Order: sequence, then C-alpha cells, then structure tokens
Amino acid sequence: MNLKKYRTKSPWILHYNTGSCNGCDVEILACLAPKYDIERFGILNRGNPKQSDILLVTGPVTKRARERLIRLYMEMPEPKVVVAVGVCACTGGVFRGMYNVENGVDKFIPVDVYVPGCAARPENIIDGVVRALEILEKKKKDLQLTRKCTGTEELEYLLGKQLNRRKIVAEGTRRCYESRRD
Amino acid sequence: MSKELSLILTLLSPVIGGLIYGFERIVRARMQNRQGPPLLQPFYDFLKLMDKRSIMIHSFHAFMGIMYLVGTWFSLYVLLSGGDILIAIFFHVLSLAFLVVGGFSVRSPYSVVGAMRELIHMLAYEPIFVLTAAGLYLVTGTFQVSELLKTDTVPILSLPLVFIAFILSLPAVLKKSPFDIAEAHQEIIGGPEIEYSGKFYEAVYTAKWIEYIYAFFFVFLFAGSNYLLGAILVVLSFFIVNLIDNSTARVTFRQMVSFHWYILIPLVVINLMLLALWRA
Ligand code: SF4
Repeated sequence: MNLKKYRTKSPWILHYNTGSCNGCDVEILACLAPKYDIERFGILNRGNPKQSDILLVTGPVTKRARERLIRLYMEMPEPKVVVAVGVCACTGGVFRGMYNVENGVDKFIPVDVYVPGCAARPENIIDGVVRALEILEKKKKDLQLTRKCTGTEELEYLLGKQLNRRKIVAEGTRRCYESRRD
Repeated sequence: MSKELSLILTLLSPVIGGLIYGFERIVRARMQNRQGPPLLQPFYDFLKLMDKRSIMIHSFHAFMGIMYLVGTWFSLYVLLSGGDILIAIFFHVLSLAFLVVGGFSVRSPYSVVGAMRELIHMLAYEPIFVLTAAGLYLVTGTFQVSELLKTDTVPILSLPLVFIAFILSLPAVLKKSPFDIAEAHQEIIGGPEIEYSGKFYEAVYTAKWIEYIYAFFFVFLFAGSNYLLGAILVVLSFFIVNLIDNSTARVTFRQMVSFHWYILIPLVVINLMLLALWRA
C-alpha cells in the first residue's frame, strides 16, 4: 500500500507566531473560518508539534522566539514542511535590520515554501499550503537532512548522523544560546 | 445477537466508528455553513498517521496509549456480545484510567493537566452511566444486554428523565463542547494525548471512534427490543450532541462537575424514586 499519497490528504497544521504584528495570523485564521474553509481539504489546525505535518510560521524571528522556533521544528516528526507566511517570515519585511529581530525564518530552520504579502492573502496562504503538500509527498519518512539554509553552521550538526532526537534538541538549544549576542 | 455477529461487529467497530466520526465532521461543518471534509477523512488521517515517524517518550507511555485502545475495544465487545452492562462500564473506566496513567507518566505539564481533567470528567459522568444501568435494571430486571434487547417493555417510556440526563452527559463522554475540558484544544492542545505521535496517536485516535459507538449503544439500549425506535433515538441524540457542541463554549471544570452532580444526577434519582414508588 502506498501510504505516501495519504499525506497530502490530511495535513495537520502547527501555527507559530514568532513575533508577527498579528496581521498574518488573522489571515491564517481567516483560512480556517467558514469563508475559505480549508478543513474541506482535511487540513486541521492541531497546535501540537508532535502530530503536525506543516509548520506555518508568521512574523520576523525575534530573539526571544528563536529557541522555541527551533524546538518546535525539532519536535515535529518527519515528514514535515515549513511554510513562511508573510514577508516578515520570508525576509524580515518592515522589521528587517532591527536590533531585536533576526531577518527571516530561514536563518534558523529550512523553509520549503515562501508566501509573500503583507499581510499574506488567504488565497496565497492556501496556495502555499498546497505547494507545501507537493513537497511533503516527496519527503522521506526518515530523519530529514536540512536543505540550504542561510546560517549553515547553525544546523550542521544534523548532518553528523545524530539520530537521537533528545540530543538534537539539546544541541539545537545549546547552539541557540551560544549564538546569543544580546 | 449471535456470537459470530457480535465478534464481526466488534472487529469492524473502528471502521463504523470512523464513518460516524467522518459524518460528524461533515454535520458539524454544515451546521457552521461550511463545506466540510470528505466522509472518509478520518481514514485518510489514520493512514497518514501510520506513515509518520512515531516518537516515543518512553515505552510505558506508548504502551498505555495502546492499552487505552484495547480496553475501549474490549468494553465495546462486552456490550455487543450481550454481556453485563456494569462490566462494560467498568472496562471503559479502566481504559480511561490507562490513558490517565499514560498522561501522568510524562513530564509535559499539558499532559499532566489533561490527565487530571480527564479524572474530573470521569468523576462527572460515570455516576450517570452506573445509575442509567441501575434504571435499566429497575425497568427490565436484568443487567444483561442480550436480555435487555429482548424485553417487551420499552425502557425510555418509564425512564424519560434518565434519558434526558444521559443525553446531556454525552458531550462530557465524547469530550465535546461545553464539556471538552479534558482535551481543550485551544489551551492544553489535546490534554492527555498531547505527547502521543505517529502510530501511538493512531491508537488513541481510533479508541475515540470506538468510544462513539460505545456511548451511542447505550442510547440504543433505551429502546429495548424496539430496534427502529432505538435507531431513531441514536440519530436524534447524535444531532442534539452536535448541536450542543456547535452552539456552546467551554465551561470550567467546576461548572461541569456541579452541572452533573447537582442537576443531572438528581434528575436521574428523581426518576428512579418515582419509578420505585409507582411500582410499590
Ligand atoms: S508580513 Fe505584514 S502583516 Fe505579516 S506579520 Fe509582517 S508586518 Fe504583519
């Protein structure tokens, strides 16, 4: 039985706000509400990293939020995809270069789909999630090696055959603290 | 019911429960003026969860998740094979206890809070289940399901208040709003089941479908040997439960327990006392 194609039929979403102005969050909630109703594709907002497939990140990564972001990403079981919603999550947007934000989510975790817009339109978000589903179907079930990601050394330890999840999470948080400049 | 039929029905119960759950999601969506997922959505979820990597916290925790499924399934088997209602209720309590122990066995605060709330849930609705069984006994003179399905009296006619109380306690059993405090998705994100993932979450997910059949089978018992009336009651209660689920918000655990203990249980007791007086 090919279970891969069922991945695209019931993607569960984890939505994390890394310090957005709430504009993009409201748009994501609009997708879940009756007008756009993404539940008809089987998409549920679980809010639980252990049971989700898609991580929707909104907002620029503030320095307070980055540890949680890495942790949430680590706690999601494979296969998983990351969708950056809004220009803030893609590049930093209007907050780019400010002293308290890191520009964009892809500095810390590998992003698969970028959804532009400030705030991203619900149609675009749905489109992005559908794109993410195509990627999700291709991903393997085993521990994924990270794809290109701007701060490469940050996550390089994943390549070093460390399959113990607790160690990975501990290592991720340790590195995060290490690179703390504030 | 014959032995073979009951065995087959029990083995098929995840499928039936999944269909009920899928149908319920559609009904809920339509009540909210939405399209809703396809009918087979629970099975897509099921197959997807099978394909996910399962992260085990520790083996005991995972084992408790599976025992929850086994316990619920067994309590349903006791009901379907015409066994004792009380034994089914006690097995159901036991299976929930497995879930609670599993929830307590990890260090996640959400899981622990969820497990505590699950215990409060049991405190609230289990007395009603037991008193319902007592009421059915008073009317038909037996605890055996096989005898109950053959009686010539129709229990709901003499137990109207018990029936109302039972329907109003169904949201707590099925963990629906306004009594969904154990798996409050907005605050503790699933409660005791939060740490399960992959295959182990699948076990918990399936156990929930079986609980649907378990709860609605009790509704069916209220009609005695009149199966048509039983089916009507089940459909009616299904819609009432969904309507309540859609139109209410969550209450606190205190309100839930006091609603069950100060309103529903007195209702049941009044009905049983009137019944005993009328008999005497
Ligand atoms: S992209 Fe615009 S709406 Fe979205 S978080 Fe950034 S500033 Fe807010």
